[in-house]
Amino acid sequence: MLFRQAGILHTNYAQDRALFPIPADRWMIGGLLLLAATAPLYLNSLYLSSYLLPWLVWTAAALGLNLILGWAGQFHLGYAAVMGIGAYAAVHAQRAGVPWEIAIVLAGLTAAVIGSVFAFAALRVKGLYLALSTLALQFVMDWTISHVPAISGGTQATLQAPDIRLLGQAVTSDAGLYYVALVWCVLVTTFMLNLRRTALGRALVAVREKDYAAAVIGVNSFYFKLVAFATSSFIAGVSGAVLIGTFYHAVTPEQFSVDVSIQALAMVIVGGLGSIIGSYFGAGFILLMPGAMNSFISWLTGLFGFSLGIETLAHLPHALYGALIIGFLLLEPLGLGKIYGNVRDYLLVWPFGYVKK
Amino acid sequence: MDILLLLESALNGALVGLMYSLVAMGIVLIYKSSSVPNLAQGAMVMLAGYVILAFANQLHLPIWAAIPLGIVTMFVIGIGIERVALRRLAGRPIIMILMMTLGIEIFLRAGSMTIWGGTSRPLPIGISDSPLFLGPLLINRAYAVGAGVAVVMFVLLVLFFRTRIGVVLRAISDDYTAAWSVGISVERGVALSWAISAVVATIAAVLWGSVQGVDQSLALLLLKGVTVAVLGGLDSIGGALLAGILLGIVEGTASVVLDPLLGGASRELVDAAMLILTIMLRPHGLFGRHDIERV
Amino acid sequence: MAAITEAKAGNILTLNNVEVVYDYVSLAIKGVSLAVPQGGMVALLGANGAGKSTTLKSISGLLAAERGEVRRGEVAFQGQPINALMPQDRVRLGIAHVLEGRRVFEHLTPDENLIAASAVRSRHDAARNKDRVYSYFPRLFERRGSAAGYLSGGEQQMLAIGRALMTQPKLLMLDEPSLGLAPFLVAEIFQILSRINREDGLSVLLVEQNAIAALEIVSHGYLIESGRIVMHDTAEALKRNPDIQEFYLGGAENKNFRDIKHYRRRKRWLT
Repeated sequence: MLFRQAGILHTNYAQDRALFPIPADRWMIGGLLLLAATAPLYLNSLYLSSYLLPWLVWTAAALGLNLILGWAGQFHLGYAAVMGIGAYAAVHAQRAGVPWEIAIVLAGLTAAVIGSVFAFAALRVKGLYLALSTLALQFVMDWTISHVPAISGGTQATLQAPDIRLLGQAVTSDAGLYYVALVWCVLVTTFMLNLRRTALGRALVAVREKDYAAAVIGVNSFYFKLVAFATSSFIAGVSGAVLIGTFYHAVTPEQFSVDVSIQALAMVIVGGLGSIIGSYFGAGFILLMPGAMNSFISWLTGLFGFSLGIETLAHLPHALYGALIIGFLLLEPLGLGKIYGNVRDYLLVWPFGYVKK
Repeated sequence: MDILLLLESALNGALVGLMYSLVAMGIVLIYKSSSVPNLAQGAMVMLAGYVILAFANQLHLPIWAAIPLGIVTMFVIGIGIERVALRRLAGRPIIMILMMTLGIEIFLRAGSMTIWGGTSRPLPIGISDSPLFLGPLLINRAYAVGAGVAVVMFVLLVLFFRTRIGVVLRAISDDYTAAWSVGISVERGVALSWAISAVVATIAAVLWGSVQGVDQSLALLLLKGVTVAVLGGLDSIGGALLAGILLGIVEGTASVVLDPLLGGASRELVDAAMLILTIMLRPHGLFGRHDIERV
Repeated sequence: MAAITEAKAGNILTLNNVEVVYDYVSLAIKGVSLAVPQGGMVALLGANGAGKSTTLKSISGLLAAERGEVRRGEVAFQGQPINALMPQDRVRLGIAHVLEGRRVFEHLTPDENLIAASAVRSRHDAARNKDRVYSYFPRLFERRGSAAGYLSGGEQQMLAIGRALMTQPKLLMLDEPSLGLAPFLVAEIFQILSRINREDGLSVLLVEQNAIAALEIVSHGYLIESGRIVMHDTAEALKRNPDIQEFYLGGAENKNFRDIKHYRRRKRWLT
């Protein structure tokens, strides 16, 4: 890395418990934020709105799932359904004339309330059985959304989302939408970073490691699981609403199907369970991978001069995506976040590799 | 309500349910030996369907030759999946194992479509379309054959578990440390259970492929298979058989009763509801024996 | 411990400075050396957590199932190092391990338990071995059809031993076979063990907390504490040893803490 930790001595607990205890880290985060804030100045709108924006929103969503999966250790196969609840709630609220600022809060709350249904499953069973019941709930919600015309908006099942209006101003420019996504992602990240330092975060980790052992030391696992699911569902709901408002501009049930749930899961696993920077990596990796694969395949076919059928081209990235999940689980189960950590630890003491960090 | 229609749907539902049992038995076989819930069973059925079609259409083999070849191929693929993907995950948290089977599911499903394309193809095995008559009731001939095969498969599995190898597999599922201590190669036993499960998936692929054609929708049988497996108790093959009949009957009658009310497609809802209810009320299923982790 | 090295030629099993770690960090046994003579009966005594079970698992290879490994030292069976072998290969060589707490296959019948345990032997041998096991434990034959989970504790222990015998072992290792059994059952099982030892020349390594019963049937004993062998002698000498009497044979009366500290000091000399 660009800095050494030597000579950084904390003289009180507040310094030691700071989010980024090392000045160089603070400078780096500041630099990254500056880069992100000025992105519309140097990136063309294609990159901004079709790569950077969905990446930020999906990172926020993945962080919410990581709260359940990585911190609380509860399996969730219906995360996309919760995002969908938020998306539909926001769109319906907007169409009813509710301002967008309030609509996304409503979306978050609706998702939190309905998403807590998943928590009640988690309060009764865990592990495999929780995974299966959340999967079943995903199907129930899919079915409800697509079969109730009042929700899905009729037979064609596509509902146009009204434009975002912030404080009465319509936000339609690519840069404006990008900033909405950026602010949401930074908010969620800050929340998650701070969660580590709170009693709630520590209680969740205790519940994850062994819930009855946590109960013995006075952690009410019942309550904390509920809080974890509600919080994560809130993040999911708002992320879903932001995704629709800034990216899709229309909502259909397929955007939140079980495949999307698995995709969100893949982001967290590939990124690294419980790792915040990992969620960034994971979301970026899973989102960009199909496109990158497509270019790579067409480059390969061009190189060797053979052609592939349309169907092959359509399904090959998906197959490679499955292979990547398998590969990550076999080779680095803790994901990209762990790989980043390894590289960082190595570089921190480079070239004195024998120094233990 | 027309009682005859209801009876007919229930009867056909029971037969379809037995065909679900075939998918569920594959899940149970693997779960019994290694406590791995195989969410890729549906994708294995789909892959098996494509493999048989490849033998029949691309190598121009008659169907009676393509099916055994498909069984052999899937046997090897089953061993391969266990060896490559699952063995190294032994002892890891269940989250990792579930994600692995999901990864395999995606890989197999998308992989077979990459190779063979996504259009639905027929897999004719020579069952005529004309229905059977049982008194005034019409019975789908393909379902009847499928149900018969499922029962035969069940009997074969029960007999297999009485053989020396079968007893060894049961010993592994009882206590794998103890199995290790008497010289049983647990890894090989688990690999064998994957292989047998893949063979059962192949049988399911033939029957389901002949009913609805071979395409991606075969992988969706996973939801039915999981529901039946959980309802029967994840480690009971007999449970899978009976739960299949039960789910089939419920599905069949519910579709008659609920479809007009809900505007169709109530089967998926019934499946999901059955799954949730089973887990909430009786997580070890009708015949399961393991104490599951309760909170 | 000169006696061990002298008698090396006649030993079926030798452990030389074996160190076992679990999860790469926690050191469970720290340099255990012991030997079982060909056709002999040896006891390994010690308190809870002393490392008895770990020692047995390092011999049978079951450490791997618990993320443990032999980090240093050598386990040799019939003069050949077996550190690198898989559990099933060690069973094939003739090492049988009866696990602590019986661990029968509960949903299988005794008959099926025995069949499952013959996985490394031929079908023909299996049938012969089964007859032999039933001749040692006629009670198992009577109950051969019912699920093993419903057998009594003593019967389950017999089944566990019978299951180990199905592998045609040359060395039988038992981990606390007396655990939770009535004294008369312990006596019966130990009698059968010494009968098998006499008649078939089977070498036995017996891990016990019940030192009284164990020292009655073995010729030699080792005492293990905190992962180290602290004493090795003949059974007669061990029974006479005041420390053993005090702490393992229940002879201690009116002892206070100072005396125990005294014992600890003395023990350091032995190590």
